[in-house]
Amino acid sequence: MTRVAYYKGCLASLSAKELDTSTQALAPQLGLELEELEAVTCCGAGDIHEAEPDYYLHLNARILAYGEETGADTLMTICNVCTLNLRQANWQLRNDEALRERVNANLEAVGAPSYGGTVEVKHLLWLIAEGEGLELLRQAAHKGLKGLRIAPFYGCQILRPSKLLGFEDPDRPSSLERIIEACGGEAVDYPSKLKCCGFPIIQAREEVALGELIQPIEQALEAGAHAIVTPCPLCHLSLDAWQSKLEKSTGRSLGMPILHLAQLIGVAAGLDESELKFKRHIVPVAPLVEQLSV
Amino acid sequence: MDVAVKIWRYDPATGERALRDYEVDAPEWVTLLDVLDLIKDRVDGTLSFRKSCRMMICGSCGMRMDGAAVLACKTRMAEIVEAGHVPVISAMGNLPVVKDLVVDMDPFWQKMRAMQPWLQPGYLEAPEGKEFHVSQAQTNVINKEALCINCGCCVSECNSMESDPEFLGPAALAKGMRFVGDARDQATVERLERYNDEHGIWDCTRCYFCQERCPKGVDPRDAIAKLGAESIRHGIDRDMGAKHAKWFVTSAKTTGWLRETELVPKTQGIARSIKEIPFAMRLLKHGKVPPPFPPHVAKDVQESRALYELVKQQGRDGAAGIVQGEKALSRIEFIEELAQREEEAE
Repeated sequence: MTRVAYYKGCLASLSAKELDTSTQALAPQLGLELEELEAVTCCGAGDIHEAEPDYYLHLNARILAYGEETGADTLMTICNVCTLNLRQANWQLRNDEALRERVNANLEAVGAPSYGGTVEVKHLLWLIAEGEGLELLRQAAHKGLKGLRIAPFYGCQILRPSKLLGFEDPDRPSSLERIIEACGGEAVDYPSKLKCCGFPIIQAREEVALGELIQPIEQALEAGAHAIVTPCPLCHLSLDAWQSKLEKSTGRSLGMPILHLAQLIGVAAGLDESELKFKRHIVPVAPLVEQLSV
Repeated sequence: MDVAVKIWRYDPATGERALRDYEVDAPEWVTLLDVLDLIKDRVDGTLSFRKSCRMMICGSCGMRMDGAAVLACKTRMAEIVEAGHVPVISAMGNLPVVKDLVVDMDPFWQKMRAMQPWLQPGYLEAPEGKEFHVSQAQTNVINKEALCINCGCCVSECNSMESDPEFLGPAALAKGMRFVGDARDQATVERLERYNDEHGIWDCTRCYFCQERCPKGVDPRDAIAKLGAESIRHGIDRDMGAKHAKWFVTSAKTTGWLRETELVPKTQGIARSIKEIPFAMRLLKHGKVPPPFPPHVAKDVQESRALYELVKQQGRDGAAGIVQGEKALSRIEFIEELAQREEEAE
């Protein structure tokens, strides 16, 4: 078992609770012991970085410090945006001593632990996609995904900017495909699998965002995918919840189920609906799961 | 070595578009630009592409290789040939194709011009015959933005611009930041007001393609974040994007976690969010609208509240608070290079 500090972020405790429950249920099967961080806040989602950047840095330093306090080497995220925000702050703090000193003095002044720079921020996807993780995944995925064609949708902030993320080639990633195949499914290729879902501007610029969102959904449909899987709960929310708006604006029925990464693996590992919570999705997933059990 | 490439040709006279195969013999050291020159010289003189300096400074030879914008003169071919890969070369995206690999840069220059990329109000005489001093710290705020060579690689890949062609885009906005952050410029607020218009700063979808593709390390997405931070520092927050960003700050310093359900009315205003009620009801049915009461409060949230007060007192507001860590980056690269050299020496 590998012990990791688990930072679930805002959405997994709010509108995407199903991501948290499926991650928690799946973790032991993948050799992960999750120590959930409680005294932590939002990473700022890129928004605090853009509004009050110095506050962003401090909030993330505080999360990293509490992660470090658990004694685990890895702080595990389950959201692309959390991953980028924390890795960016980590990189800044680790490589600029003067900055770290100033931030640490502030953390101490408010009663938080200071940050020594020893934590590595890794997304769940990365922990599973290589080495022992993939081996354990193969064992866990005993039910398989036979006959299912799954379209991987990476989301932006797990690939770019690669100088801060750097797990895999940002133009030719393969971690999601490896996982889909290890679960017994077939990975479907389509042109916009590395593009943006539009979520960061879906409230302020809905039309622009929908113009981005339609691409992966239409293309995955054309490629004959049964579902899209994503490692990011924000991509999930736009692909799943805003799909109905696309149906309205295009007058077309789309019905593309969207799965969180932990749910896709969870299906293959035989997790229960009480953990997967597909009822919380806007686009029904049930037909897909039924097809699998036939 | 034999270098093979596929090139998307476009003939404006006939409207014909075709993917053609080319192969030339070339020395080990060639770049993609050298290969195009060889093709034009030896195989097909009608192939069109832009070039000038051949050394990554003029910004003329932006194009796509395997769908990703590159400077042809910066792209070495040896590794690609060794891997047995035949890359597909095409014109940049988000700009109209004139012929083959040449795009019409006019929309690019129009947006650049809209930024008024010159110091305002112009040349000023320093008082009492002294010099104006610009500190290193002030320069650091824009030293990345100043590296831009106007090649358009970032614009080519911009996901927001694909959806909204009027979006000012990464190159123009990075140029805007280069002047907003310039200690000598006197038009900061007027600039920020303009850049806050409908197709400005808050149109950016944070896909980070610009940052990934820029061949000069300008980091245009960070430049846009700096403009956002500067706008909010100057109280320019009328745009829904700014209101959205500010709500995350309010959330972090009150409950610690995002107050998700209130985000829509706080971003869009009450009148507009009323229209969203049918959509929200549908989400509510599936538990996607977490009840705002009782609020989801983070443990020890008083720490993040106190941090906010402390940080505000220290006054690193706006772009000055955005750390890009160039020094760290160059150090990392230097150490890696050193290690590599030592390895080779052994």
